[in-house]
Amino acid sequence: MAGEPCIVVQDLWYSYGGEVTALQGIDLEIEDGDYVAVIGQNGSGKTTLVKHFNGLLKPTRGRVLVRGLSDREGSPLLRDTADLTAGQLAQTVGYVFQNPDHQIFCATTRQELAFGPRNLDLPEAEVKRRVEEALARFDLEEVADKPPAVLGYGLRRKIGVAAVYAMRPRIFILDEPTTGLDWRSTMELMELIGEMHCHGHTIILVTHDMKLVAEFSQKSLVLRDGQVLVYDDTRNVFEHSEILRDTQIEPPQITALAKRMVPYGMPGDVLSVEEFYTAYCGLGER
Amino acid sequence: MSFSFDLYVQRRSWLHAVDPRVKLAFVFLGTVLMLAFKNLFIMLLSLAITHLIISSAGVPGHKVRWVWKTMLPINIMIPLLWVIFYPEGPTVLFQFWFLKVTALSFLRGIALALRLDAIAFICFTWLFTTDQTSLVRSLVKLGLPFEWGLVLAIGLRYIPTFYGLYTVVSEAQQARALDLTRGSFFTRVRSYLPILVAMLISALRTSEQLARAMESRALGLPGVQRTCLRDIRFRPADYAYTALLIALFSALLTLRFQFGLGTHPLYLF
Repeated sequence: MAGEPCIVVQDLWYSYGGEVTALQGIDLEIEDGDYVAVIGQNGSGKTTLVKHFNGLLKPTRGRVLVRGLSDREGSPLLRDTADLTAGQLAQTVGYVFQNPDHQIFCATTRQELAFGPRNLDLPEAEVKRRVEEALARFDLEEVADKPPAVLGYGLRRKIGVAAVYAMRPRIFILDEPTTGLDWRSTMELMELIGEMHCHGHTIILVTHDMKLVAEFSQKSLVLRDGQVLVYDDTRNVFEHSEILRDTQIEPPQITALAKRMVPYGMPGDVLSVEEFYTAYCGLGER
Repeated sequence: MSFSFDLYVQRRSWLHAVDPRVKLAFVFLGTVLMLAFKNLFIMLLSLAITHLIISSAGVPGHKVRWVWKTMLPINIMIPLLWVIFYPEGPTVLFQFWFLKVTALSFLRGIALALRLDAIAFICFTWLFTTDQTSLVRSLVKLGLPFEWGLVLAIGLRYIPTFYGLYTVVSEAQQARALDLTRGSFFTRVRSYLPILVAMLISALRTSEQLARAMESRALGLPGVQRTCLRDIRFRPADYAYTALLIALFSALLTLRFQFGLGTHPLYLF
């Protein structure tokens, strides 16, 4: 149900062992079908925040509600993550960890992809169907029977995403999925994520790569010192880059260039090379 | 946010300034003493002293709590197993089928668990306050080949790292709906496999990278005499600490073996 909130965060505080306060009073609503980039400096609380969405962390204070765990009648409800384990939430919220090596343990890629769906107690035929579909979608058929741990980094990364994809969560969290990937693998992965978004999945992307944020995400959530600095359409966030001044976040170069050219009639909210090109051609016509 | 699991606490305290060899002697003699005694109160006293030493060196409370948290399973298992397998003494607290719980074996179990805690804290006074460089340096000065000292230091350095790795891997697998709480005992033990295997692969990868990183910085180059930037030297205070340590050690050991101090779990003599 697009437009309805699927994650609601109310006055969320979190501190690690009562020592370090990582999140301070976060209020937030993420709508079904959104594509949200979570950005901020190292230590701003990005990972801590998204770990609350799938129940790996429970709020020290406040509440996190997640929609999508159907009750017996089948209507999806907003439910408090405090009452659910990460395992139960995994049906709805998929979480791809930063380092694929933290999850890879099976003898073959096929088994690796089947691990999650099996944990969901799905019938074996359904598990098989999902695994084959994920193998095809992520172009992993060639390595399906190879041990994933000895494959190259780019492939391991893809397997990490595919393993969560096979669980068909409605909400997809990806923690810096492109770190260490070359440009081609990055674009491949981002396009696959884009496809999932087109199929109605909610995407939450934690990243440092502003170019990806500008090109792919509809909304941006900027965190600073465990607080929400701004949560708005990505276009607005980068257009008002003065808000970002203290966060060490720089808009992508193409946006910065467009901004410099505002006196010559260039719009200041350009996000990609394509957009720049179109706007630039428009300038010539005028 | 990533969490650092380093054992060493960087501070400028009297204990940080103590020569690592003195601290190593403290660990060795302290451990021997703890193994010699079986008394509950001596263990408690030793724990109180090490806590005092650690806090006076500026080690933060969460590190101390981390040690206790790590020791918790041992603290539960030892009294439990002791009570089950070594019933002794006349006072029976309760009896059920084959299980006979006696007061003496219960106390002994607790004393033994506390003994391990006491030894752990004796070791942590050393590990919390000695950085890796001086640790290796001290072992080399005691006659160990540099590589051996390094291996030991790296081993110690990676205990908390693997603890951190365990946390991350277990989170990653739980995010794939791995349930560690479901089913019988054996099902639950089996469900730890995905965590252990992933950890093992990560650990092997880490060790390979570490070895390459060290080799690429010319470790183990044949025919080269290592020099060192920072040397450790005994100060007058270190001689005093050593003397005090030996005096205390001999006195306590004499009391133990001449006069039978601390052999009973409850009574001192």
